[in-house]
Amino acid sequence: MRPFFVATLFVTLCSLFSAGPAQAHKVNIFAYVEGDTGYTESYFPDGKPVEGGTIEVLGPAGNKLLEGKTDQEGLFSFPLPAKDDLTIVINASMGHKSKFLLKKSDR
Amino acid sequence: MSTMKILIFSAAITLLVLTSTAAAHFGTVIPSKNIVTPEDSCSIALEVKFIHPMEGQYMEMEKPKKFGVLHNNTKTDLLPRLVAAKGNSPSQSEKFTYWKTDYQIKRPGDYTFYVEPKPYWEPAEDLFIVHYTKVCVNAFGLEEGWDEKIGLETEIIPKTRPYGLWTGNLFTGQVLVGGQPAAHAEVEVEYLNESPGNRSALQPPSNPFVTQVVIADADGVFSYAMPKAGWWGFSALNEAGWKLKKDGVEKGVEIGAVYWVHTVDIP
Repeated sequence: MRPFFVATLFVTLCSLFSAGPAQAHKVNIFAYVEGDTGYTESYFPDGKPVEGGTIEVLGPAGNKLLEGKTDQEGLFSFPLPAKDDLTIVINASMGHKSKFLLKKSDR
Repeated sequence: MSTMKILIFSAAITLLVLTSTAAAHFGTVIPSKNIVTPEDSCSIALEVKFIHPMEGQYMEMEKPKKFGVLHNNTKTDLLPRLVAAKGNSPSQSEKFTYWKTDYQIKRPGDYTFYVEPKPYWEPAEDLFIVHYTKVCVNAFGLEEGWDEKIGLETEIIPKTRPYGLWTGNLFTGQVLVGGQPAAHAEVEVEYLNESPGNRSALQPPSNPFVTQVVIADADGVFSYAMPKAGWWGFSALNEAGWKLKKDGVEKGVEIGAVYWVHTVDIP
């Protein structure tokens, strides 16, 4: 119990001191399709972009189709791999993770 | 006077007293949800009414003068999309007009919907009522825009982020008239008894419980803690600097700045 508490406190303190205030907030992702390209935008609640976050594009069975990194504006785009429902996952530092379901019917 | 006549007369008086003191008029604009997440449908339904929120009675509402949405610093006119509908409270036999539409959320960020109704003539108060009414919907976790002005003749600017609120949270807002803080404005607060998900209709034990009243400070800032889950309306009332004619006679105009927020019980 005690080592766990200390570890938790350590992680909490690390995130307090090493990350900017925005990283105390949740990571969000929004995705849409134009033509044959999927566009993603990753951001904190105040609009600050998530830089260098890992984006994973998953197929209907949860299989990874492709992966990439967000740019300085929190953007990442990719050629659409399949005419299926896609789950797009943003994985930022410190285990901040969020996902967006891009439905086949939305395209 | 026969007993019957006396009875009818006193019933009529009671009704008059009840309608003129107990219930405040509120413009409403209520969305089917005020937080849109990636798991949700992006379509929201909006209803625009003129009612007594606590007691439920509807008033006939003409098609508003303005209805729109502010998102990402851009206003979009939604007036042509409003469709008339009819509704009433269980205590009313007649049905009254209100307005509704569906709206498709396309981008992250805050969407502030606003209504400017046509002036409503209220004979009991011998004045016209115009309630400039707003509500905010957040989409996809981007919390930007909720405290932006629309630029209405009078409006409430939320100082508490107006979504993701628990029951019991304090809501703080600032009343503006003509873009300037309205010092010591009177703010009426009512619970919307027809809030979706309201498990039991709130029965006020006496008249003062129907409409709560808060006086704003010198900067037009007021606060109120919301004690029940559902929709809460804040209505700041002022007299317009202009008049309108009723049957050729000039009458005063009550301008109200109304803002709606939704609370959820902590599970």
